[in-house]
Amino acid sequence: MARPDRRDPTQIRALHCVLGQLNRVDGSAQFSAGDTSVLCGVYGPVDVKLYDEKLDRAHIEVKFRPDIGVPTTKDKWVEDAVRTTFEREILGQLHPRTLVQINVQLCQGDGSVDAAAINATTLALIDAGIPLRAMVAAATCIVRPDHSIIVDPTQEEADSALSTHTFAFSNLQSNSPAYVDSRGEFSLDEYNACYDMCIAAVDRTLAFMRTAVEGKILKETQTAL
Amino acid sequence: MADVKVVVPGDVIDTHTEEDDAVLRLGPGLTQHAGKVSAVAAGVLHASPDTNHFWVVSNKRRYVPAEGEPVVGVVLGRHGEGYRVDIGSAHDALLPLLAFEGATRRNKPNLVVGATVYARVSVANEMMDPELECFNSHTGKSEGYGELTHGFTFKCSLGLARRLLSAKAPVLSALGEQVPFEAAVGVNGRVW
Repeated sequence: MARPDRRDPTQIRALHCVLGQLNRVDGSAQFSAGDTSVLCGVYGPVDVKLYDEKLDRAHIEVKFRPDIGVPTTKDKWVEDAVRTTFEREILGQLHPRTLVQINVQLCQGDGSVDAAAINATTLALIDAGIPLRAMVAAATCIVRPDHSIIVDPTQEEADSALSTHTFAFSNLQSNSPAYVDSRGEFSLDEYNACYDMCIAAVDRTLAFMRTAVEGKILKETQTAL
Repeated sequence: MADVKVVVPGDVIDTHTEEDDAVLRLGPGLTQHAGKVSAVAAGVLHASPDTNHFWVVSNKRRYVPAEGEPVVGVVLGRHGEGYRVDIGSAHDALLPLLAFEGATRRNKPNLVVGATVYARVSVANEMMDPELECFNSHTGKSEGYGELTHGFTFKCSLGLARRLLSAKAPVLSALGEQVPFEAAVGVNGRVW
């Protein structure tokens, strides 16, 4: 069954990002996949409330805001996705008793929002210079009503999905995912097929992110006198 | 442009040396895990083959204090035997009242809230709040540290601050040809 935008099942949308565009935060990144666009701003390491203070590592706080309206329960899922992913990847033990605050704003939503949030957060954390174990990228796959599997669904495609799977992987040489979220009814074969498709999509996204980060650093190095 | 090696978090660094039992020194932006050295920051990888020293140079905005670095701070208040100074780090720094040239129990400095100081970081680790001193504790001389009166302070990125501190900063030389000035550059991204 053809996709509305004529993409192949394994084809992700055009990626775009801007690093460091916000000047009041410590690091920022805007990440877009097709019409889904997410802006992430990061502060850290900064002072932490006594209640949240952890003696041996940094406290990671994530706030996700939708494009329209006030945050609701499903926005909390995205916060949870970002927080559980990056609590593992941020080397918080280098900055105990501090706070790393991640603010994610959905600018435009067209499916695969949680994956875009994770991608934007990786880039913003790198822009802020917060120590990371690895770069993490995410991708979403859905199983359509005809049991075909497609990657990076738009909102229209995701609305009719039998199941939705978001995987995040890091650029370390290991196959275990940094984040997994699967919803709906699906078979183990479908899960494995989504897993494989997402690994391939994440590899391409990681390559894109690396190019973006290298470009920014080379530009900074060249303007240094 | 010369061969510039850019690394991103997760990249494994080749630290192979000729001697088997060489001691490797890992500077900022690198960590060691399971026998491999990998980058934790995105930046340009530098290596000094003579001393087996590796580090990553990256630009950021948030200052993390390190011992020995000169910083520009703002006095927030006086607490007990010292001042609380904002140097832009996660925790405010402590500047003891006696950490000034010629300071004794009878003759202590009198800084007001909001005063700007140029100080050296004397204690910095992740477990404690940073501490400052406004003199060279070995010689007892101020060596440029102390209160900065008049003038104005602006913030910049840490990378720009480091470049301004290098002896050949073109911006400062060019400015000096037009206007005589005095400046204090803190590696915490603040310039007075």
